[in-house]
Amino acid sequence: MKYLQVDFEKCDGGRHCNRECEVACSKTLYKTGDVAYSAIRLLPVKGQDGALAINVCNQCGECVEVCPTEALRQNKLGVVLLDKKVCVACYMCVGFCPTLSFRQVTGLHEPVKCIVCGACVKACPRGALQVAEKPQPEPLIAAR
Amino acid sequence: MAEDYTKRTEYTGEAAQMKAAHVLLREVPFTPSLPELGYNNRTLHIDLTTLTVTEKPVTQQMKDIFIGGRGFGLWYLWQAIKPTTKWNDPENDIIISPGPLGGNTQYPGSGKSLVVTLSPQTSIPIDSNVGGYFGPLMKFSGFDALEIQGKAEQDVIVVIDGQKGVVRIETAPLEPSDSHVAAEIFTAEYAETEADRRNVSIVSAGRAAENSLIGCLNFSWYDLRRKATRLKQAGRGGIGTVLRDKKVKALVCRGPQVRGDMNHPADMARITKVATKLHKEIHDFDDQQCHMRRQGTAHLVEIMDAYDLLPVHNFQYGNHPDTKKIASWIWDARFTQGIPDGCWYGCSMACSKGADGHIVKTGPYKGHVVTVDGPEYETAGGCAANCGIFEPDWLLESNFYCDTYGICTITFGTLTAFIMECYQRGILNKERTGGLEMTWGNAEAQMELLHQMARGEGFGKIAGLGVLRMKRIFTERGWGDPQLLQDIGMEIKGLEYSQYMSKESLAQQGGYALTNKGPQHDEAWLIFMDMVNKQIPTFEAKAEALYYFPLFRTWFGLNGLCKLPWNDIEPEDNAQTSEPAKVPDHVYNYCELFSGITGREIQKQDIITMSEKVYNFQRVFNIRMGKGLRLHDTPPYRSVGPVTREEYESRAERYDTQMREEIGVNPDGLSVDEKIAITRRYREDRYQKLVDAVYTRRGWTTDGVPPVSKLQELGIDFPELVEVVKQHGG
Amino acid sequence: MAARGMAMIRVNGDPIEWHEGMTVRDVLVARNYKFPLIIVTVNSHLVRREAYDTTVVPDESSVRVVHLMSGG
Repeated sequence: MKYLQVDFEKCDGGRHCNRECEVACSKTLYKTGDVAYSAIRLLPVKGQDGALAINVCNQCGECVEVCPTEALRQNKLGVVLLDKKVCVACYMCVGFCPTLSFRQVTGLHEPVKCIVCGACVKACPRGALQVAEKPQPEPLIAAR
Repeated sequence: MAEDYTKRTEYTGEAAQMKAAHVLLREVPFTPSLPELGYNNRTLHIDLTTLTVTEKPVTQQMKDIFIGGRGFGLWYLWQAIKPTTKWNDPENDIIISPGPLGGNTQYPGSGKSLVVTLSPQTSIPIDSNVGGYFGPLMKFSGFDALEIQGKAEQDVIVVIDGQKGVVRIETAPLEPSDSHVAAEIFTAEYAETEADRRNVSIVSAGRAAENSLIGCLNFSWYDLRRKATRLKQAGRGGIGTVLRDKKVKALVCRGPQVRGDMNHPADMARITKVATKLHKEIHDFDDQQCHMRRQGTAHLVEIMDAYDLLPVHNFQYGNHPDTKKIASWIWDARFTQGIPDGCWYGCSMACSKGADGHIVKTGPYKGHVVTVDGPEYETAGGCAANCGIFEPDWLLESNFYCDTYGICTITFGTLTAFIMECYQRGILNKERTGGLEMTWGNAEAQMELLHQMARGEGFGKIAGLGVLRMKRIFTERGWGDPQLLQDIGMEIKGLEYSQYMSKESLAQQGGYALTNKGPQHDEAWLIFMDMVNKQIPTFEAKAEALYYFPLFRTWFGLNGLCKLPWNDIEPEDNAQTSEPAKVPDHVYNYCELFSGITGREIQKQDIITMSEKVYNFQRVFNIRMGKGLRLHDTPPYRSVGPVTREEYESRAERYDTQMREEIGVNPDGLSVDEKIAITRRYREDRYQKLVDAVYTRRGWTTDGVPPVSKLQELGIDFPELVEVVKQHGG
Repeated sequence: MAARGMAMIRVNGDPIEWHEGMTVRDVLVARNYKFPLIIVTVNSHLVRREAYDTTVVPDESSVRVVHLMSGG
């Protein structure tokens, strides 16, 4: 399955770049330079003053199970996609994301997540991002 | 082992023919609308006698004083009926209202409908808080409340189509009234596509609602994962009986496809901030705290047993060695896990659990494969423990049939337990029950009683009248000692007790008996605070709790909210707050939610002020209907202390210690009967002192009447209320 | 009830027998306190959930186990 892989050796948390990944993402997804709309974010690291680190969806799929309207589904490539037409903006996916990578953006009905489009990969000046493959995890829907 | 949890008996095969048999009696168009700041500012009134459909405006005064939900229901009911109105008079009104916060899709527990009517059981207003999609879908069609008055001549359905903007009254002669069938068929009939099913919700009752006084309403929603119509119940007080008396087979609402901003809130960001915070709390802590997501309220079964609070054998005892057979881990395994079991969008607490694949063992649906909605704690306490039936399959069976027949599991549990105790004590016998052996633990007899109730036959017909009327009937027939029947018949004001033992908690005795609608725990649950923590030792401290909690919890019903996300999950730092029992951070959330949706800024004290108006209004309403005075706040002694020798002896150490240390009497050498009598005098006197303290705190007279000055203070000194209280020394 | 002179602590005001090395968990088990939403203090000091197994309750302590509410 496809996901956005971050090379944390190469990414230095925005110290020597202009956060091109965030800008590329918000432009691609919402045609805005406001990085609040970006699915990939450089966020402060807890306990490390001033340090930032990439936070982005790893397509684990836990949100798919939580979604009450089946607006979230994993496509053939394993990427979790949101169907805006049926999303009711409950934001349970936001609260239940284990990596805090599903975001609620003020002014936007649907929550925002990475769709592995690759825009940030091309934009990153340090080559820290790539679209990678990993094995599909076991299905999460449990039966009795 | 992945069994197919979507496998169940289907009922939609003849839906098209059934729908074709409908005759349109009335069709009235309306302009669909969405709320502004949580209100549509209009409600829908249906009169089934005259077949008229009208819109009513919501006034500013209604919003200021009654807020919505239960408040709107009580206000409309007051105007609909007279002091002499009986439940089955045409003017009785069923009001369904979701409240201004209802239908928001972000904050957990925001999809509740509040239903109010004049109760067949209590002859005073009943209010019931229920999930399912009906209230929110009706609100997003354009109405803040629905009133159903009058009586139809034949079985009808009322259809509110918020997509097309039309209200229809149609005959519906062929569909069965039992809810698990009716909800599925009506959903199929009125959803235009498979995807449209989630926009349709049904309100229905069932056969036992037609033949008893204890009918409930089922509110449906379509479960996308299970591909099933699920049900939640407005259980208490016989509302389903009123619905069927009006010859309504179902209310159907087809709303628009839901979006997250349909309340048009004043400040969406304030809502999403507290909502996502709560989602994350539930995600992080539910596994360590209440396991609501896996077990629902069934997580409480063995906990209540451990604290001697699980009602066993008609509230004689508080625990049983077999409780482990119906404990939470059993339900954890029976419930299909991994499904977002919210009864409205956005409820991450997801406690509407479903036991799939139950094969029905008895009655008209024998052999059918069904999804049982539950069991919840109350159903396990009532239908299982209280009747001594510790068998999970039989609990699923009684849960299923109560729901589909349209009767309240709490009421059915308590009244069956009463019958079983009467049987134990020889008040009833096989001859008097028409052959039913109502011994403790006899699940098959319990089910036959239920089927008789549905058919309106035999002893089941008498049982379906409820405990109050059974006491009268048994007394008239000379069966048993009237005082004993009074002591062990667990009802107040005509409503049966819900499933907690209040015997050793004075505060909870008040928590049950000093309620507006009758002994339901949704006003105040104080047993831990009082009995276990010993935090409220004085009459004044108990009275303060019996002032605050009923008012705080009333507010959920004004707004279309569920109580569970308030305190069945707690924030990480709750222990460090000044008043952990109130969960201050969640109270803050509610202020944010209300301010954020309605644009009316409130602080935590305002919650109490808002509720106090409606709570006192309801008390005056009870007085108006002849049942709101001190006399009517008297509990049966079973809920206060040990009635029988066996009960005394089962807790002899506790009672002897109390006698020595609190009463000041040496129990040594006294007979059990003497000790029971001494304990009873002490406890009944102590209860009366509690009543004095609570009435004082609530600002009422010693007879329990809110005086004119209180009505003025609350801004509800309408002439007709003033007249009522003046007649009773207020 | 324990005999006079035995080592004792008080839990929500009630005396219970104490033994050397008694932990908060031992107290909860002794009292059959199974409810998950509780707040424990030992001599007015808050004990966090993670520390119930490791926090030792001294003799003559006053233990408070405040149960919150839950349920329908």
